[in-house]
Amino acid sequence: MYRSASLIKQREFRTLLFLILLFVVVGFINSDYLSWQNIDKSLKSSLLFIVLAVGMTFVLLTGNLDISVGGTLGISAAVCGTILRDGGNIFLAVIAALLIGACIGLINGFGVIKLKISSFIMTLAILSITRVVQVIYTDGKWVENIPAHVKELSNLDIFGINLLSFIVIVGVIFVQLYLSKSSKGRYYTAIGDNADGAISLGIPVKRYIAYSFVISGVCASLAGLIFVSQIGFVSTNAGAGIELTVIASCVLGGVSLIGGIGTVVGAALGAIILTSINSALVYMKVPAFWNDTISGSLLIMIVVIDALLAFNASKKAKKVRLNARVLQKEA
Amino acid sequence: MLTKIPKWNLALFVIIIAEIIVFGMLNPRFWNVTILLNSFNDFIAIAIIGFFVTLVVITGGIDISGGSIIGLTSVVTGLLSQVASLNIWVSIICAIFIAGLCGLLNGVLIAYGKVQAMVITLGGMLLYSGIAIVLVGMSGVSTYEGISGFSEGFSQIANGEVMGIPHAVLLFIIMFIIAYILLHRTRYGRYIYLTGINKNTAEYSGIHTKKIIASTYVLSGLSAGIAGVVLTSYLGSARSDYGAEYLMPILTVVVLGGTLITGGKGGVVGTALASIILGFMLIGLQMAGVSTQYIGLATGVLLIVSVAFLGINRDFRSNMKRIVTQKQNIGG
Amino acid sequence: MGKIKSITLLIVVAIVMLFTAACGSNEGASGDGKKKDDKDIQVVFIPKMTGNAFFESGNDGAQKMGKKVGFKVKYDGAPEGTVANQVQIINSAVNSGADAIAISSVSSDGLNQALKKAKDAGVKVVTWDSDVDPKYRSVYINQGTPEILGKMLVDMAAEQMDNPNEAKKIGWFYSSPTVPDQNAWVNYANKYIKEKYPKWELVTTQFGDANEQKSLQVGGSILDSYPDIDAIICPDSTALPAMAQAAENKGLKADDVIITGFASPNSMRQFIENGTITNHGLWDVKDQGALAVYVAYWLAKGNELKVGGSIDVPDMGSVKVEPNTIQGYDYTADDSGIIVLPERIVFTKENTKDYNF
Repeated sequence: MYRSASLIKQREFRTLLFLILLFVVVGFINSDYLSWQNIDKSLKSSLLFIVLAVGMTFVLLTGNLDISVGGTLGISAAVCGTILRDGGNIFLAVIAALLIGACIGLINGFGVIKLKISSFIMTLAILSITRVVQVIYTDGKWVENIPAHVKELSNLDIFGINLLSFIVIVGVIFVQLYLSKSSKGRYYTAIGDNADGAISLGIPVKRYIAYSFVISGVCASLAGLIFVSQIGFVSTNAGAGIELTVIASCVLGGVSLIGGIGTVVGAALGAIILTSINSALVYMKVPAFWNDTISGSLLIMIVVIDALLAFNASKKAKKVRLNARVLQKEA
Repeated sequence: MLTKIPKWNLALFVIIIAEIIVFGMLNPRFWNVTILLNSFNDFIAIAIIGFFVTLVVITGGIDISGGSIIGLTSVVTGLLSQVASLNIWVSIICAIFIAGLCGLLNGVLIAYGKVQAMVITLGGMLLYSGIAIVLVGMSGVSTYEGISGFSEGFSQIANGEVMGIPHAVLLFIIMFIIAYILLHRTRYGRYIYLTGINKNTAEYSGIHTKKIIASTYVLSGLSAGIAGVVLTSYLGSARSDYGAEYLMPILTVVVLGGTLITGGKGGVVGTALASIILGFMLIGLQMAGVSTQYIGLATGVLLIVSVAFLGINRDFRSNMKRIVTQKQNIGG
Repeated sequence: MGKIKSITLLIVVAIVMLFTAACGSNEGASGDGKKKDDKDIQVVFIPKMTGNAFFESGNDGAQKMGKKVGFKVKYDGAPEGTVANQVQIINSAVNSGADAIAISSVSSDGLNQALKKAKDAGVKVVTWDSDVDPKYRSVYINQGTPEILGKMLVDMAAEQMDNPNEAKKIGWFYSSPTVPDQNAWVNYANKYIKEKYPKWELVTTQFGDANEQKSLQVGGSILDSYPDIDAIICPDSTALPAMAQAAENKGLKADDVIITGFASPNSMRQFIENGTITNHGLWDVKDQGALAVYVAYWLAKGNELKVGGSIDVPDMGSVKVEPNTIQGYDYTADDSGIIVLPERIVFTKENTKDYNF
């Protein structure tokens, strides 16, 4: 899969290597970690983050930031959960959740484009607002007793892997193809790379920035649906603090915070790494009060090693380019 | 230089006045000066760190590890003074020194390793709070009870007052002045702005941008250390989870203060005013009978309304120009 | 820049704040100084954190008591249960002129300074669920000492075993290594295990950070990496349902692995009914919340507390004020005591339907 997509730059490949390395090292300590069952489960646990990271990538590509994903996730999960709990139709619940996500995305987009508020402030503000709206909506209560058949959805298997995982993987591949192959998909990268240039090329920059927020909002509400189905209860703090993990996953997967660089595959891989660390710590059987220290140093180590590798790679690339130029002249 | 007060700061000042008027109308006790001055205690840590995170953000970086450095400093102070029975002041200096080291680690990795600041400081956030927990766990003190038994002198750091003015207010002013002088009155501060506006240009004009960037993280770490000591003194016991909830408030005061998250523009005056705004808003709404869990709504709306009204970004270019020329004025 | 703009901004901000204040408060702040009606007495009911099912249920009870007797109860907590947040909330309660506070403290000593200020300002202090230094409060509404609760956790697991005296592998799973009460229970529980069931082996202690997603993931990982574990005890209201969900996902029933702990019956009913777990425990936190605010109100009315005496509580009858020594404190005073109530409940298939919180 990776060989065929020649467009995928080295960065994603490095992220994949880190992921494999993580599994191999932990598998060395506890061989159960390499079992198919655990790999399937790790994928399943990271679905939430993968979906969020995909949405976030769109926003990051255009050079913006979306801090509000946790709030969107929480409120869509709460609304969807309440509808299901009260015996509502599952399609109604899904549509309601997605609409909420799209609306929040639109509001974010409106603020950033029309009110010209920096995306960081706008989405930060929306985050604190959505949190309160969720408390008011649920009256501070948890959404509990979600019907068993909804929870079973997250446990269905197809071709030996989890159905939801399958859908998400296929989705990620499609989004990746859209972003890298279709001309419209490339607009996002173009905007983040050089907004003025994009305008002069005739790209409707503002509209695409708005799209990116809507996509991120919808992804966050999709994540909310996954949350309801996998976890089966929604607290009023659902998704609190998740935004940092999501942004970190994207960055880990090679998405630049300045915009213009990155792929959703990379972001998804980054998300799997960050979530897998949690279960890896249990498998390694170290006393749990070491957890934060270990995951923090792991994260720092990964990005630093990656930066060193990138530094060497760019040096080599320069050399190659130089050589090529020399050869050209000679020829 | 003192030509005019930037309009953003003026707007923030207007908001503070509005808050005092409105909250006073809702609950007249809000007009009690003692209550207002004492309320500084509850946001002093956010403000102190905010001042120096402002410097980090102006260089184009971000530091989200401040909150966990608070916890680490608190634990180190507690362990050194109560368990290792060192002199309390020596312990404090050691703790702040360690906080500086944490900042140095962040700074070196970010400036010299060319790694994105968000991820490094996120890793740092986990790492430092993790170290705090491990330190407590290994010293045999229970992780959850907190280390107490500090001397009266130590508790005076935050709880004392001079001529009716709480120490927290004085500390706020002192830290503000330090940050203000560093950023707005020295060559170092000018270099910070230049680094943030255009790192390459700054580099070409002979500024060691790496050193400048790394140093801002050290300052931010040190300030988190000071905040950690103050908080420990204020709360009377040392715990590893202090500061964990300050992550977003710190960033909020910085950006509400008018500092651009992409760097190059901003200042500590705005941060100071913004921290007072948020602090007063919290206490004011609470005193007006609003439950704390609903206050996020007001913070969010305030952020959007105020920023949309004056549009920090609207005349970004002219602002940039203004800052550059302003800098020249200072230099001359 | 225009003055008009600043003035408009001022007006807009003023409107926004007035609006929020108007939305958020059903009860205005009480006036200061003058003699108050009993109806104007305001009790601030402070949970460790908001958004937690346990504390929300406590608030339910507290609000009902306030309505019934006729005094004001303000529920005030922050989503993050930290010392600094609670101190800030206590300060604001005192500043705003509240008459009493009823608090579940996140730290046994971090609130001392704030509570001292509250007492000095004449505000009555009642604690519930988690206590503070007894010097700084009047009454603690105690659901059971750490010994009682730790023992209860172990017993709930042991009674499901065919022969608890054999070698068993057990694990703990709760929110974090820094949270006071859960760690205190687990500490005592571990001591109790050593005495009563010396053959049990503690294989792991894990933390879910009160985060559903992480709890589910870590819960699943515990089951996978310790396939021969016999019992997992989760004294945390997020960890227990997440752990049960992880077991259900894996197709494990109560016969395969014992899962028990503390959580509200509403969040666990499904798992009891489908056989994933057999029992779990809690106390009637609604009663506890109601009692806490009533005692706070009773003290704020000017009644004198007497250790050894009793207080008449609507719907609950007469409750006895015990001395601090029953919790193992050295500090005793006439105006500082403990009320042990409510009873702890073990929920099973038979009785879970009888409770709604």
